[in-house]
Amino acid sequence: MKRIPQIVVLVIFSAFLFYSLQVDSPAPQKARDYLLQNGPKETGAVNLVTSIYLGYRAFDTLGETIVLLVSVSGVVYFIGKKQ
Amino acid sequence: MKKTSILDVISRKLSPFILLFGFYLVTYGHLSPGGGFQGGVVIASGIVLLLLCQGTERVQKLFPLTAVSFTEALGFFAFLAMGFLGIFLGSGYLSNFLPIGTPGEVPSAGFILVLNIVIGLKVGAGITLICFYLFKEED
Amino acid sequence: MLRIYLILILFLLGVFGIILCRNLIKKVIALNIINSALIILFIYLGSLSGDEAPILLDQTGIIVDPVPQALMLTAIVVGICVTALALSLVYKLYKAYGTLDIQEIEKKARENA
Repeated sequence: MKRIPQIVVLVIFSAFLFYSLQVDSPAPQKARDYLLQNGPKETGAVNLVTSIYLGYRAFDTLGETIVLLVSVSGVVYFIGKKQ
Repeated sequence: MKKTSILDVISRKLSPFILLFGFYLVTYGHLSPGGGFQGGVVIASGIVLLLLCQGTERVQKLFPLTAVSFTEALGFFAFLAMGFLGIFLGSGYLSNFLPIGTPGEVPSAGFILVLNIVIGLKVGAGITLICFYLFKEED
Repeated sequence: MLRIYLILILFLLGVFGIILCRNLIKKVIALNIINSALIILFIYLGSLSGDEAPILLDQTGIIVDPVPQALMLTAIVVGICVTALALSLVYKLYKAYGTLDIQEIEKKARENA
């Protein structure tokens, strides 16, 4: 009973989300058709997902390895060295 | 609560097969579902199974902490070095400069195989290091 | 349409959990639930355009869109990193105040400062 303002805000938020997710747009097709024709020829990988994140957009993978490195050094700093 | 010997025996018999499956996922990443990140997490889970069942002192004789940290840092710099090799031998940063063979075989994807192995080792070592430090017990 | 509403209910469970739970570990678990719900939403919306996996070895139908799957790989790894850092912060709070209840921690912090 002490949490009435929080529950009211959450109910308004969820009603707004339910209203704004009424999507009816058709599924996109151009990226899939282009990758079907030219994927294995340009990068050599038969697995199309690998050809995207290591062939066409390898720079985002570099950023993700940076995120892992920073998170591991954060955990090592907080918990401390083994004695 | 006394610990039975079931955990001891099963973890020692099962974890080499988990590591082997992780390496298969990393190496065949461009031919079947898998890749660097998926295989790296499976490799880390093989080591974490040993860590949960044997304790941190016995696992440190097999996978010492300095070696795992060194593998992770080395993996990051190897990824950066592959990018710079792309500048010297190819057409831009992180461009594909090794030859592309026939699709369908293992060494056929240029430098995607090398990048997959580097990322697999890095993600495996990183998640193992996080779990080492989160499982540490106070003395 | 019903499936999108179910995924939305999963997301709202996570948001309710972060705001209304008092235990710190339950807040971290709710953060992880929010992450997983968003990843499932993106992959579901990407799977509406075909019915086979995007691997070209021997396929017999139309493949799905592979772009959202490649982007969600990065999102999964970022979720792992956020959960690891949140758990180490919970450990530091527990060592400093001795309890995991957020209201008692606020009371003790107000008395000390």
